[in-house]
Amino acid sequence: MAFDFKLPDLGEGIAEVELRRWLVAEGDEVREHQPLLEVETDKAVVEVPSPRSGVVSGLRHEEGETVKVGETLLSLAERQAEPASQALSQAQGEPEQQARPQPAPQAQAQAQAPRPASVGIVGSLPEAEEEPHPVTAGMAGEPAVPVPAAKAAAGSGEFDGLATPMVRKLARERGIDLRSIKGSGPRGCIRPEDLERQLPAAAKVMGGAGAEERVPLRGLRRTIARNVAASQRTTAFVTSMEEVDITDIFEMRIREQGEVESRGTHLTFLPFFMKAVQHALKEHPLLNASIDDEAQELVLKRHYHFGIAVDTPEGLMVPVIRDVDKKSIIELAQAIQELGRKARERKIALDELKGSSFTITNYGHFGGTFATPIINWPDVAIMGFGRIVERPWVHRGQIAIRKILPLSLTFDHRATDGADAARFLGKVLRYLEDPALLFLDCG
Amino acid sequence: MAQLNMVQAINQALAQEMARDDRVLLLGEDVGRDGGVFRVTEGLLERFGRERVLDTPLCESGIMGAAIGMAAYGLRPVPEIQFLGFTYSAFEQLFAHAARLRSRSRGRYSCPLVVRTPYGGGIKAPELHEESTEALFCQVPGLKVVVPSGPYLAKGLLLAALRDPDPVLFLEPTRLYRLLREEVPEGEYLVELGKARVARPGNSLTVVAWGSMLERVLKAVEGYDAEVLDLMTLNPFDSEAIVTSVRKTGRLVIVHEAAKTCGFGAEIAATVAEEAILHLRAPILRVTAPDVPVPLAKLIDHYLPGLQQIRSALDEVLQY
Repeated sequence: MAFDFKLPDLGEGIAEVELRRWLVAEGDEVREHQPLLEVETDKAVVEVPSPRSGVVSGLRHEEGETVKVGETLLSLAERQAEPASQALSQAQGEPEQQARPQPAPQAQAQAQAPRPASVGIVGSLPEAEEEPHPVTAGMAGEPAVPVPAAKAAAGSGEFDGLATPMVRKLARERGIDLRSIKGSGPRGCIRPEDLERQLPAAAKVMGGAGAEERVPLRGLRRTIARNVAASQRTTAFVTSMEEVDITDIFEMRIREQGEVESRGTHLTFLPFFMKAVQHALKEHPLLNASIDDEAQELVLKRHYHFGIAVDTPEGLMVPVIRDVDKKSIIELAQAIQELGRKARERKIALDELKGSSFTITNYGHFGGTFATPIINWPDVAIMGFGRIVERPWVHRGQIAIRKILPLSLTFDHRATDGADAARFLGKVLRYLEDPALLFLDCG
Repeated sequence: MAQLNMVQAINQALAQEMARDDRVLLLGEDVGRDGGVFRVTEGLLERFGRERVLDTPLCESGIMGAAIGMAAYGLRPVPEIQFLGFTYSAFEQLFAHAARLRSRSRGRYSCPLVVRTPYGGGIKAPELHEESTEALFCQVPGLKVVVPSGPYLAKGLLLAALRDPDPVLFLEPTRLYRLLREEVPEGEYLVELGKARVARPGNSLTVVAWGSMLERVLKAVEGYDAEVLDLMTLNPFDSEAIVTSVRKTGRLVIVHEAAKTCGFGAEIAATVAEEAILHLRAPILRVTAPDVPVPLAKLIDHYLPGLQQIRSALDEVLQY
């Protein structure tokens, strides 16, 4: 009778394997447990043993093919002339020893291998180790394993009062030292309300006197901590860096500063940077996007709303300047000034902090050169501008002193690849080096 | 819709399933001519005949063994054991054969039988007639344990159990047999096994109960903002429903009429400790019978958890 041997479930969620090598050929007689083939899973190379004895009557796959769990690997013709007793005992699921034909030479060798010293009629009994077991060894006298001295709770400085797990969790989250709280629950148990009541007093400093001071992460700081950590967890980020000669923009800014200031606006480099990035994004839409993790979709934005990282006394905020493509350099300068003021006064509306399609961080005026800016999730890229410095630079074939700007672009590798990001960065470079292109190239 | 008690609801479920599926048959002591010890199978012998409703000798292990053989070979037997306290002599059959036939045969055989048995206290019966040892059976992998808490659920759960491909122990709370009347639809409906239900929504604490304790718990929580969960299936039990509720309320009281030590409440408490400890505002409390054998009639009301005991536990967890 022919038996189709199907690729069994190898466990660990493996659904398919690559057939590396047949270890048998058609016509071969195989025994139960004899390796039939070698397969490679994404974890390892394993041999697949035969579930039965018989003659190989057909190999169903070529070496190198991918085989799915449940597909037939090969067919075995089982021998017809089996003794009746064997067929019967197999059908009844009896132990196979009784029915097994004469042992092959290999099986005989196995039979002569040293038997374990302890054998039961059913099961096999594990042997005691030579070394005394650490748990029981000391039972007759002193404990074999020294027991650490009990920690004196009173002197350890740890909270040793009563509080339920939920209250302990709340206290930990809010940075409250439970020792500073008096409980109003049964037997002095600290209730959630006790935490709320004493929050301002307790939250000031954790830990009391000592070599360190603990300041709880709260408010904006906690939000920042949560957001940047979430961003790092969810994105596959890469930062590429470049340097660019922006002497022309530098000179243009100085030339036009008076004109702009006469209109009541201070002109910085940032509006130029934004324009250069926006025009480069127009040609590289994959970076003006977000990733919808749930739907597993890349959302390409048809607008250019830039998040601008702003340093405030409490921490970083990222207000959004909308429709960068529809604003002039002066309008951008005005918008930046306005947003910066609102952010510092904490008057910014929540919806002004949302909806960016790309983010810019201008940390240069604090002195940094290169950085690895963290993507403002769910955006897929952020551009960092470092400090502009005078450097010797090859300009039109001559060494000259030029104004050099360091650029750092962090992008989500899930959305795009390094080559595309480099091309985008190159485009930004060209616009910054030669701002006249903004008028020639772009509408 | 007819107002039925649990005896009538179960009888209706059995009759409907026997009419729908001729593999279903009943066996047990007095299930035929006498209609069962609590008259649950009344009228079924007349309707379905002696080949489908079998009076057996007084031998629980024999009833179970015969049922297992029938189930393995394609029938859908429903053995009745007159009281849970008498299943122990059939326990070996259940534990060593019914529950592991699928695993032992690597899926080639299953054992689709439903053991029906009245259980629980409060009926002033003699010894071994008021046991609530459901936890013993919940420890048996492969054996489902189902406990309805009212007539409507009894019918829906029993129909689901009868169509389950594996052995089910169907525990019928004896005290509730004729205590509650509910509207029970005439037609077929299934109540999914393995799921709990919110018997009463609430926010400040969770009470988990099953079987005959549910009726008592619903009385006890009047005036409290308590969420009451009716487990309905004890094995496998709906841990997700419990954890979800405890995450919301932060407090858990478990009420069962079995003795406390190693009762099923311990399993629930351990699960919540594993999965929701940081949501707990108070210790988990169990309201149970004491660790003594079920007493005789005079003391039974002191033995079973009473309204006052349940309310004390609710007050205690609310203090934190």
